[in-house]
Amino acid sequence: MKTRRDFLKAGLALGASLPVFANLEKLFAADVPATNSAAPAAPAGAKSVLVAVRDGGRAAMLDKAMSALGGMETFVKKGQTVLVKPNIGWDTPPERGADTHPELVKRVVEMCFAAGAKSVSMFDNPCDQWQRCYSHSGMEKVAQDTGATLVNGKDETLYREVEIPGGRKLHTAEVHSLVLDSDVFINVPVLKHHSGSVMTGCMKNLMGIIWDRGFYHRTDLHQCIADILTFKKPTLNILDAYAPMVRNGPRGVSVDDLVTMRTLLVSTDIVAIDAAGAKLLDHQPSDVRHIAIAAEMGLGTMDLEQVDIRRFKLA
Amino acid sequence: MPPKFLKWLRVFIAAVVFAALTAAFVDFRGLVPWQIGHALAEIQFVPSLVALITGASLSLACIIIAVITLAAGRIYCSAICPLGIFQDVVIHLTKRPKSRPAPYTHPHTWLRQTFLWATVAAGVAGFGGFALSLLDPYSNFGRMASDIFRPLVTMVNNTIVSSVDKLGWHGLFRVEPHWASFGALHQPLILLGLLVVLVVLGGRLYCNTLCPVGTLLGWLSQRAAFRLQIDQGACRKCAACLRACKAQCIDLRAGAIDFSRCVACYNCMDVCDEHGINYRFAWAREKTIPAPASQTASDGVADPQRRAFLSKSILGIAGVTGFSRVLLAAERSPTGSFETPRNFSPVICPPGAVSVERFLDRCTACHLCISECPTGVLQPSFGEYGFIGIMKPRMDYRIAFCNYDCRHCGEVCPDGAIDLLDLAAKHLVKIGEAQFNRDKCVVVTNGTDCAACSEHCPTKAVSTIPYGENLRLPSVNNKLCIGCGACEYACPVKPDKAIKVIGLRQHGWAKKNIEPKATLPKSNGDFPF
Repeated sequence: MKTRRDFLKAGLALGASLPVFANLEKLFAADVPATNSAAPAAPAGAKSVLVAVRDGGRAAMLDKAMSALGGMETFVKKGQTVLVKPNIGWDTPPERGADTHPELVKRVVEMCFAAGAKSVSMFDNPCDQWQRCYSHSGMEKVAQDTGATLVNGKDETLYREVEIPGGRKLHTAEVHSLVLDSDVFINVPVLKHHSGSVMTGCMKNLMGIIWDRGFYHRTDLHQCIADILTFKKPTLNILDAYAPMVRNGPRGVSVDDLVTMRTLLVSTDIVAIDAAGAKLLDHQPSDVRHIAIAAEMGLGTMDLEQVDIRRFKLA
Repeated sequence: MPPKFLKWLRVFIAAVVFAALTAAFVDFRGLVPWQIGHALAEIQFVPSLVALITGASLSLACIIIAVITLAAGRIYCSAICPLGIFQDVVIHLTKRPKSRPAPYTHPHTWLRQTFLWATVAAGVAGFGGFALSLLDPYSNFGRMASDIFRPLVTMVNNTIVSSVDKLGWHGLFRVEPHWASFGALHQPLILLGLLVVLVVLGGRLYCNTLCPVGTLLGWLSQRAAFRLQIDQGACRKCAACLRACKAQCIDLRAGAIDFSRCVACYNCMDVCDEHGINYRFAWAREKTIPAPASQTASDGVADPQRRAFLSKSILGIAGVTGFSRVLLAAERSPTGSFETPRNFSPVICPPGAVSVERFLDRCTACHLCISECPTGVLQPSFGEYGFIGIMKPRMDYRIAFCNYDCRHCGEVCPDGAIDLLDLAAKHLVKIGEAQFNRDKCVVVTNGTDCAACSEHCPTKAVSTIPYGENLRLPSVNNKLCIGCGACEYACPVKPDKAIKVIGLRQHGWAKKNIEPKATLPKSNGDFPF
């Protein structure tokens, strides 16, 4: 049970771990175009690569997947600033599977630092009260243990309005400055059932980078989820399917909503990885409308036949 | 006892109590442990009296304060009462050395009695909660601190955050300042203005005219065993004590102190070079030494009669304030029937309140729960509960929703208005019910998926059902609904939400959502792709 005292500690930890903002302005001044330039695993024209690992611990499966992609060094260069975007949307403990599991997030952050990252930041624009989400999901502890920076996702002044160049319904959005200013953007969601969008995986997790979630819901949820990708796609997507929530999503009611699948997916192609995630939840990718729209808009590959899938079983 | 020691002891205790309680009230980041606010609120006279009378807890603070007052005067008013200490701070800030005349003034006895007996009468009539919410000094301070000081401090924090941002260092974060609605802000603002005016006019004038606690304790203080008295042999009539007195209760001509108005600040003892003001045991002396002229009329002697009157009065007040509770006691159980339409309430009170009636009866609107609420869903009401519920907290789902795993309001509540439920009970206590209006829902009007309501629902009382061509329409199962407001808050429809929570006058219990363990969609141990 977390108490005020924990919040005090957490507040101090947050405060102590926020000096990264000193660098954001400088970085922004020398910003590079937001593209997938740091993703050599998927050169233009070649097939998307999807690594799927089964039957190991979360950290072990990530180690295997990343080594198959040439290590984290392929994506994170020495001295770069990294944003790790887990799903921290709910004030629930890790075993409820509503947020990305801290064990996986911790391993991702450690890999980024090992690859020479100058800083690693994390945030989400959560649905529940943000400090409680950060604390109870275990992300605060990850930040304390690894030296990563947890940044407030409920401060509108940290968001900046941007144009969505290819958006059909989403034409402008307020996007968190960490997304705009970090060199590397690693998307680390958890795979879940969702009562509105059928499933939530990598694409749906990006709802947490914009300020006005209500606009998506009010306008056209699936279309907006796809539209934001025309502005920016994550450098790398890591999908936690160790114990996906298969009903009552995305918040879940109890641990009984989870099944143990012990699977991890990694890809630079956000559509391909969500298509594979949909299959894990027993859906046809084309039945999940935002996946179908994104594929149709040319934002990635929905047809897994066209994807270079590298499968590993650890047991 | 050295006279200076008493004053500095008083100042020290007051400073600690005031600083800690103010910190708890303005705490916009949740940094102050809730136990501090709760403990300091619980030792206040009125919350303790309410808790004791209503049977909410065996809160003895009010009795201890009464006993202390009967022993040595209104120590509570200068050392513990935050509104009293706040006035001392204002007195200190507005003090113009030696220019304030501060003569002895006669007590406004009829005004004092009027406010005290009006409070008692309100209790008899079943409006005790209303009267106390307007007149309890602790709650009045709480409202100023929570509704005015807290958002101001938050704004200062945000200004600091943006300036340190420019300097390139970031040890703080922004917090949205939650201002109460304009209507609800009136009362603490008027009180703040009134207090400042009264302080400038006559020091602790508020405590000695309007405050029913001041009047009640003053009545006891007038009969205290130990009272401050002027040593006629030592007094040179230099009037230093007069200037130092915040209560204008030293009648130097008569050589007497009106101890019913003395707030036991000990400033007079501190400034008297002759050590001419000291505590004297008054119960024994009254028989041999004439009592001060101004007090003889109303003073009796310490005999059994007086004590009987005293205990009768306390019991009387206790009785009448509890009267309305007795009337409502029959429907206190939260298991009462809530399905009847008559049970619907236009305003929603927090989980643990049991019923709107009980809540209004017990709550003194100190706003400690509002300060403590991490989401900001608790807001001061204005007209929502009707006139008698003015300023009492309500759930405002336009601002936020009740966090499923949080029970801070029950933890801090000092007067038993909000029960501290254990978490399992908090998960099931039903304060309202969701009502879905499909004609306004995005899924129907726009033909696109949404389910923000279902997404936020912690019990899955709001789920979705297939609708149209590959769409999902919200569906409410009110057996599972606890009325937390997550669905209403999340609903993106403007200006009127498509899903709203209707409050229950009498809270009930929701059904626990139990489902068998989910099974793997495909469990052949291989990748499905």
